[in-house]
Amino acid sequence: MAYSNEEELARELVRRRLNRRQIIAIGLRLGLGATSLGALLAACGQAAPAANNAAPTPPPPTAAPAAAPAPTQATSLYDPNDSANGPWPTNAVGDPASKVEISVAHAWDATFFERQKQFDTLFMQRHPNIVVKAENTPWGDFRQKYLAQAAGGALPDLFYIHFSWAQDLIKNGTVLPLDDFIAKEKDFNIDDFTKPSLPGYKRDGKLWVIPYDEGPGILYYNKDIFDKAGVKYPDDTWTLDTFKETVGKLTSGEGQSKIFGFSGTPTPGDSLLAPPYLTPFGAEYLDEKEAQYLLNKPEGVKTMEWWMEFRTKLNAVPSPAEQQALNQANINAFQVGRVAMTLDGSWATPGIVQNANFKWDVAAWPKGPVKHATFSAGSGYGIAKTSKNVDAAWIYLNEYLSSAGQIYMWGTTGRGSPSRNSAWPSYLGSKFAPANAKVIQDSLNNLDTTGKLYFSTTPRVTQEATPIWDLVVAGQLSVKDAIDQIGTAIEPIIAENRA
Amino acid sequence: MLQQGAEKAQIGRVARARPRFGPQARQEERAFYLFISPWLIGFIIFWAGPIVASLVLSFTDWNLLSEPKWIGFANYSKMATDKFFSIALVNTLYYGIGSVLLGVTVAFLLALLLNQKVYGQAMFRTIFYLPSVVSGIAVALLWLNIFNPDFGLLNQLLRQMGVENPPGWLVSTQWAMPALIMMSVWGAGGSMVIYLAGLQSIPEHLYEAASIDGAGRWTKFWVITVPMMSPVIFFNLITGFIGSLQAFVQILVMTDGGPANATLVYGLYLYRNAFRLFQMGYASALSWALFVVIILITVIQFALAGRWVYYEGESPGGAQ
Repeated sequence: MAYSNEEELARELVRRRLNRRQIIAIGLRLGLGATSLGALLAACGQAAPAANNAAPTPPPPTAAPAAAPAPTQATSLYDPNDSANGPWPTNAVGDPASKVEISVAHAWDATFFERQKQFDTLFMQRHPNIVVKAENTPWGDFRQKYLAQAAGGALPDLFYIHFSWAQDLIKNGTVLPLDDFIAKEKDFNIDDFTKPSLPGYKRDGKLWVIPYDEGPGILYYNKDIFDKAGVKYPDDTWTLDTFKETVGKLTSGEGQSKIFGFSGTPTPGDSLLAPPYLTPFGAEYLDEKEAQYLLNKPEGVKTMEWWMEFRTKLNAVPSPAEQQALNQANINAFQVGRVAMTLDGSWATPGIVQNANFKWDVAAWPKGPVKHATFSAGSGYGIAKTSKNVDAAWIYLNEYLSSAGQIYMWGTTGRGSPSRNSAWPSYLGSKFAPANAKVIQDSLNNLDTTGKLYFSTTPRVTQEATPIWDLVVAGQLSVKDAIDQIGTAIEPIIAENRA
Repeated sequence: MLQQGAEKAQIGRVARARPRFGPQARQEERAFYLFISPWLIGFIIFWAGPIVASLVLSFTDWNLLSEPKWIGFANYSKMATDKFFSIALVNTLYYGIGSVLLGVTVAFLLALLLNQKVYGQAMFRTIFYLPSVVSGIAVALLWLNIFNPDFGLLNQLLRQMGVENPPGWLVSTQWAMPALIMMSVWGAGGSMVIYLAGLQSIPEHLYEAASIDGAGRWTKFWVITVPMMSPVIFFNLITGFIGSLQAFVQILVMTDGGPANATLVYGLYLYRNAFRLFQMGYASALSWALFVVIILITVIQFALAGRWVYYEGESPGGAQ
């Protein structure tokens, strides 16, 4: 089998799950030099021999654009010239007359931060008077670090914002409204953004954050487990009833070798509960303003009872003890082949590409009797109100999240789910994207993705709901009683959203 | 009168004036301040400053993003109606009492054993002390494996002993806290060393005199060892209780307060408010409330100490 470059070879090596020593041996046999060998190791998610390994980035607590753990490296997986020619948008704001420095805070893994540096280098070539100082912080530490900086009045000019943090930052006046800038830009085209990507970043009729991605929840499935059980792969005809029936069929074994049909049951402690689990059955968690509790309606109770049957009747999801064992080994149960199907964001694909040692694919989350729905989530960037270089920051943001910028960063790299429709074709055509990536775009465009919680009251809501639902999972409380108790506990909190 | 007053004031000033030092003494004084200045500066910047700031912040509503808003005692009165506060306080006292009593007992018994003159004494002491120098996270991961209901060492042992349904430990609302208390004994080596030092300072002639009077081992233990060790036990009780009320890292890693808040201890709840909910004012108030709780418990312990702690040279009750 011939490989045209290190990237293709790397993909094959990753699929074969070769270790670092084996990769080096293959590289040497192929006569690769030190630089190429470094690039190959980097592409395989391994550090070059001289590089220091960084600690893997822990997965975010809620669905977030997490990427696979990656080592620090000096070389990039991506060709810096790939899609580097734009066309880059014009800027209504003129370049600064003298040199200014802008600071930009990111939350990338080490592999993708290399792509970030490539973008910044090209940007600085186009704008010689703007010096970009990029900071990179692991996702898990990001919010704490930059809130502390906000308290000290030392925020970077531009910074990463997860959808679940946005409303809090906007409400407290931490970021600038961007509508006036956008209005002046003839190339910006706000209509190019995917429909689900914008609402979480709006407040008082203004847009405060520009999203870079918005990905749907999709069904990942392990083809090997399906083949072994002689079960047909998921397709467009699947309903949640088909799904449940199949989960039962795919569950097998005992103890540490048990295969679970599905990864877990839903919990009201999850801000993304409603779209995939409740909406398909016509149930809701909170109303649109997150001010009224609706899970206690008969359809809400019935739906949560239906999902709990995966645990109580089918015994097809990990028990708390089994989950604890999987968690402590830092194992993603799907990635190690212990779970036949899982619901995860489209951003999980790079990690699965890197770690899964089995055949897998993606499908749309199955439809329910009332609606076809799934969650979607994403992140964006905002300009700090304290920025002293607002114009330069806007020029950067305008190009970074332009169609060309998104193609460069999230399209050709296969990271996926760009927030602009115009950047999707580059993602679908990327050699790094999953083969069936069209499912991701179709899910985002065609399924109902409304209903996730993103108001600033959400952490307190989940703090109340989680321990109550623990008792349901432990079999110490009925679904109905738990739902009633959650209602009593969160009513005073969500009442704040009525103001 | 006025003149007399002025003279007295002058005398007072002279009396309070610094004694005159020679050049060498002044040089030593400068060296003294120079050497302690790193610690002093560090203390002021990293400890005293934040301590004062947290006291002020406890009277504010502050989420790090906007200016702190003065709300008087609202954060403190909120605790009275905050159910998580009471859960955390009760859990912390449960953990504190359990872990300290168990820890003190086990460490004392270990010290008694390791005070015996046996072959390999130093090696045994080292072995028992070693666990207390292992980092908190490593200990947490180790015990997660031990407590795993399905394949953990503890339940495998219990099953071999005939227990059909051993506890779920960290995933059980009833057993999670007892499991954490059991785990806390892991660090008993630190206290054990202090007990060993105390045991070795008990004068041998007391045991010899007791032997001449016909006292057996048990009597000698109760009338000599325990009273002579009571100040050391008291010290370990005080420091152990203060430490256990601040327990945080291992519980964060092992249970994160779950299941169903069964292990939500005070330190964890404080952390959640500060770094997950970003309610810095309330978190500061919680930390000061914890300070008051610790002081109160310590004062009570000192008040009760007169009844059972024996200091050599003092008659019972503390009177000479």
